[in-house]
Amino acid sequence: MTVAAILGALFALLLVGVPVAFSLGLLGLAMLVLGGFSPLMAPQAVLSTLDGFILLSVPLFLLMSNVLLRGGVGRDLFAAVQAWVGHWPGGLAVATVISCGLFAAISGSSVATAATIGTVAIPEMIARGYERRFVYGLLAAGGTLGILIPPSIPMIVYGFVTEESVIALFLAGIGPGLLLLALFAGYAMIHASVTGMGRTPRVSWPERWRATARALPSLALAALVVAGIYSGAFTPTEAAAIGFAAALVITALVLRTLTWEAFRDAAMDSMATTAAILLIIAGAKVFGKAITLYRIPQELSAFISDNVATPALFVLLVGAILVVMGLVLEALSMVLIMTPVLLPAAMGMRFDPIWFGVFMVIMVEAALITPPVGLNLYVIQSVARSTLGDVARGALPFLMLMFLCVLILYLIPDLALYIPFKL
Amino acid sequence: MTAFARFVTALAWVAAALFVGAGLMLTYEVLARYFFIRPTIWAAELSQACLIWGSLIAAPWALRERRHIRITALIALMPRRARLAADLVAMLAVALFSGAVLAYGWWIFFDSFQRGRTTGSMLDLPVWIVELAVPFGMGLLLVQALIEAARAARGEIVAEGEHGE
Repeated sequence: MTVAAILGALFALLLVGVPVAFSLGLLGLAMLVLGGFSPLMAPQAVLSTLDGFILLSVPLFLLMSNVLLRGGVGRDLFAAVQAWVGHWPGGLAVATVISCGLFAAISGSSVATAATIGTVAIPEMIARGYERRFVYGLLAAGGTLGILIPPSIPMIVYGFVTEESVIALFLAGIGPGLLLLALFAGYAMIHASVTGMGRTPRVSWPERWRATARALPSLALAALVVAGIYSGAFTPTEAAAIGFAAALVITALVLRTLTWEAFRDAAMDSMATTAAILLIIAGAKVFGKAITLYRIPQELSAFISDNVATPALFVLLVGAILVVMGLVLEALSMVLIMTPVLLPAAMGMRFDPIWFGVFMVIMVEAALITPPVGLNLYVIQSVARSTLGDVARGALPFLMLMFLCVLILYLIPDLALYIPFKL
Repeated sequence: MTAFARFVTALAWVAAALFVGAGLMLTYEVLARYFFIRPTIWAAELSQACLIWGSLIAAPWALRERRHIRITALIALMPRRARLAADLVAMLAVALFSGAVLAYGWWIFFDSFQRGRTTGSMLDLPVWIVELAVPFGMGLLLVQALIEAARAARGEIVAEGEHGE
């Protein structure tokens, strides 16, 4: 009864257009007051959220990828990859997917990835005669690799709310990220050979090395960030800071592509996204505090373990709930609202919390490409000046591949857990 | 542009500068640790303060520019009058939240200020320095939310800003 009332109130606030951060915060605050708990917990929750050192990595990873985006690194990456695989069947499409994967290793955001690679790859693919919907879907879906392949902002947020290791989460994303990349690339090759599409002429060796050399600083940067975190040389937050500083050096001094205006835009954009994200996390913290005091996660967990017989059924059920929520909820809100509610039940079912985090992130990727609220669909729609329906229909096959990836991840949990725990 | 609007815009630039500053401080920290073998005592704490202040002083600007993430699927379908009513309710909800957090946040700040609490770290800064960010940011957000509510009441629909993530 209480649960229904709380959910009803939450959706009423969200649907009437109250920003997610304040919907969660206001409802949490109201629950604290009505439940006779101290409302001082609200400002305290806001402060303790913003005081999280790991969350400091959010603006820094955003700055890093926004500086690289505006420094035109996407073009260089795409050109380099294309020089190597462009002459394969569906080469241009494969190059697009691999470029998304590479940029994902620099960026923690799916929107930045879709925008960076989309801007260069869409016109190129359309010009070569690829079917429009396929191109849009490929980029909307390819962009979501940004949050599965480390670094990843949703993983940082998941690690923050569950107090799990962000490093372990990052490493756990690598296996499934590569699998999804391979699935997308494989589908692209099959699609291209069926439609008889697009090889580009084979590129000469000197040309290949020239293109690679230009992309090398960005690739080295991605390697530095991941290796530094993995070896423990620096924390994820410090890695983000160094990544940002190195991105400035690369674009401003080495490639000389970053103008002062471009840097200013990158800083403002990162600031806007950071403020939006961190206030949502703060609001979710107030809400999370309130539902825990009302013992809702505990009760739900007991209800699930009494009624859901097997882990497979549990994953299916949670997956279905996340798909439905993903239709209307934006990605991060989904992680923030559903994690505290679902994780106790998942752990009761003996799922590893790191595995569950990776599972959540793939479901978030699916949410990013399902209408009506799928941020990546909007990004591609605006980059390509197309309609939402075209992009969404194009993304459908890739959505199925994401579900296939979840199935494989369920059957082989080591796909995620091998690198962080057994390597 | 009113003086308040200019102030809110200026704060957004300050927030952007604070985040950039935090990145440079932490980079210096890592360089100091590995190359000069002299870790700093200030980088972690000050960069964290940048995050706290930056996120909160950017909040009113983000509200005005419609940069806060919200669900527009339903309100986009509404006829004009219903949409305006929804905007009015939404902005009043933001005002209610920010007003309440302003009041309670002020109390936390004032208590620490009076008792002279410090962070207990190597820098040992007074805690009110970061706690003040909550009532300061929420106070401005309250004013901005009321301005936005008034815009909705006058029949003005504001287009959604861009969202990252």
